[in-house]
Amino acid sequence: MKDTLARLSQSFGPSGREEEIRTQLTKELAALDKNLAIRTDALGNLIATKPGDEKRLLLAAHMDEIALLVTHIDDLGFLRFSPVGGHDPRLLLGARVIFANGTMGTIGREELKDKEDLKLDKLFIDIGASSRAEAEENCPIGSMAVFAPHFSTQGSRIMAKALDNRAGCTVLLEVIRNLPPVDYQIDFVFTVQEEVGLRGARTAAYQLQPHLAVAVDVTRTGDTPEAPVMAVELGKGPAIKVKDRSFISHPRVKDLLEETARSQDIPYQLEILERGGTDAGSIHLTREGIPTGVISIPTRYIHSPAEIIDYRDLKNAALLLCSFLQHKDLFSSL
Amino acid sequence: MLGIFSRGQQKLKGMEKTTNTKEDKSLEYLDLLRRLSQEQGVSGREAKVAESLLKTLHPLVDEVERDRLGNVIAHKKGEGPDPHPRVMLAAHMDEIGLMVTQILEGGFLRFTPVGGIDLRTLPGQEVLIHGLSPLRGVIGAKPPHLQEPGERKKAIPGDELYIDTGYSKKEELEEMVPLGTMVTIERDLQLLANDLVAGKALDNRAGVTVLAACFQELTRLKHRADVYGVATVQEEVGVRGAMVSSYGLAPDLAVVIDVCHGDMPGVAEDEGFPLGKGPALGLGPHVHPRLFTTLKETAQEIGVPYQVEPSPTPAGTDAWAIQIAREGIPTALVSLPLRYMHTAVETLSLKDLKETGRLLAAFIQGLEPAFVEGLSCY
Repeated sequence: MKDTLARLSQSFGPSGREEEIRTQLTKELAALDKNLAIRTDALGNLIATKPGDEKRLLLAAHMDEIALLVTHIDDLGFLRFSPVGGHDPRLLLGARVIFANGTMGTIGREELKDKEDLKLDKLFIDIGASSRAEAEENCPIGSMAVFAPHFSTQGSRIMAKALDNRAGCTVLLEVIRNLPPVDYQIDFVFTVQEEVGLRGARTAAYQLQPHLAVAVDVTRTGDTPEAPVMAVELGKGPAIKVKDRSFISHPRVKDLLEETARSQDIPYQLEILERGGTDAGSIHLTREGIPTGVISIPTRYIHSPAEIIDYRDLKNAALLLCSFLQHKDLFSSL
Repeated sequence: MLGIFSRGQQKLKGMEKTTNTKEDKSLEYLDLLRRLSQEQGVSGREAKVAESLLKTLHPLVDEVERDRLGNVIAHKKGEGPDPHPRVMLAAHMDEIGLMVTQILEGGFLRFTPVGGIDLRTLPGQEVLIHGLSPLRGVIGAKPPHLQEPGERKKAIPGDELYIDTGYSKKEELEEMVPLGTMVTIERDLQLLANDLVAGKALDNRAGVTVLAACFQELTRLKHRADVYGVATVQEEVGVRGAMVSSYGLAPDLAVVIDVCHGDMPGVAEDEGFPLGKGPALGLGPHVHPRLFTTLKETAQEIGVPYQVEPSPTPAGTDAWAIQIAREGIPTALVSLPLRYMHTAVETLSLKDLKETGRLLAAFIQGLEPAFVEGLSCY
């Protein structure tokens, strides 16, 4: 699982430009299970279907990551950018970024009178170019950069870029690897454009029309020095979401997830995320409404160049989802 | 009063004249409003209020059920030959509230708002915590004597508020109050002068009461339209129940019943509507002009007072979601003027409530297939 996560997290996949990560995921899927029907839809969602009877369940993990979009190149070859997804200028300053073609850049800032003035429009990417032409050739306007890849471990902890949400993608792959046969159909969806408004999940749910859905994503923690209040910690188990800004969990789906965790002795936490949303936000409002739940992997420093998770939470998230899918009352109790 | 009618008795009622119900019967819906106001139903956890409503609506309609997201959908069939215009009435049944986010050492509960609750009005409130079994609590505040200079002039920030249940051990509460437990304000409905009532969650249990009142009126009237009354979920967190129920029903037209701001000191005349002067008919891009006109003319015909609420923006009601469901649904908005929105003393007029039910029933009575066809001809 760790190796899979290492490969996925270091892949390039900004929102709207998910080609590389999709290719990587397609390879992983093909190696795992020959019986999966794999396709890409009009928006770029990668859908792997495990056939079954008329009941359908959708599992979603977004494969896109936050990025920077080049908007302007000046005479000296400095690149101005627009954020793709939620960026904090304080976390960008000094970060190393990489473009699809492998060009590296670092982020500098204008001279500021006041530290409070540090806004995104005071920042620029320096790729080392010495002219506009050189910059344009390597990173034309409209190209995107993501945080530079790295992957390291310390005990059970993993540090990397884009664990949001390659961790969720890894959980889905692990479920495919371990799930015993079930009667119903499962659509594993690696969604696009979650970071810019839960967009891929919306169209995927519309076309697949599931009876039940579960999204897997990351969530914040409150376990760092002077952190804002949040009763989620690394290493205490996957979090079962109660609420975020986009979504209030279906009471029965949430209860089923909790029941599963308790009966299988899987540690879990309950998550109330006061900011942010997940794919579940658009999935549950699709068509006549879809009962939906969320399993979250506790993650520190989300949307920074170095996010940290605990490997045990990742494993337990996969275990929880796998056990949940085998629950005998899955559809009848909704 | 609604609950005690059987269908047979309603038919007898239909023999009476319905025109002079205005003065003597404005208290008719007080008991229902009281019951609905007191029920718990914070956005996303509406099971209790839905259960109560199912019982209320059951004798008034042909069928009533909950959909996959929990919306209560009551269907009363139209009479006469096909086709039957399909009209959706929507009133959200969820209420704003609080959600427990953390249990502190010493037994205090931290919370986050669900919906746009006015945090400044929370200190001093009694609350009900809907954990494994209901638990009482209070939201306290540091006494004036102990406040730092200047502290008294400011509202307490939301993340410094907490609930006191009397329990002193974190472990005890952890068993009874799982994180994510909903909390509602404890408040009895008060009858004020001039048929005004004050209480919690009148936004929008008053609208739901109008829905029931409309069905009650319809039992005495002949109508060709198939009527779908929907008590929607999760309006306060983003008009979510309306989005999926309107998709599912695909009605020909919809009327949303919600509340608008009442007149009160400190609020400009054009921002607050007087109480007791009838419902406010929404007018703006989110409202189909012909539905507005027809509602207005119906009100004039049957002598229901009304006001006009022009709004350039969708004003955050279910109408916003319904109008753009599927291929688009002609939608109207009817609002009850209400003072002190999103506090525990929301105040409105029972007269307005009753009159709105009457207006909607008369509007539905007049719905013919030709009118529905005309809605797409501008």
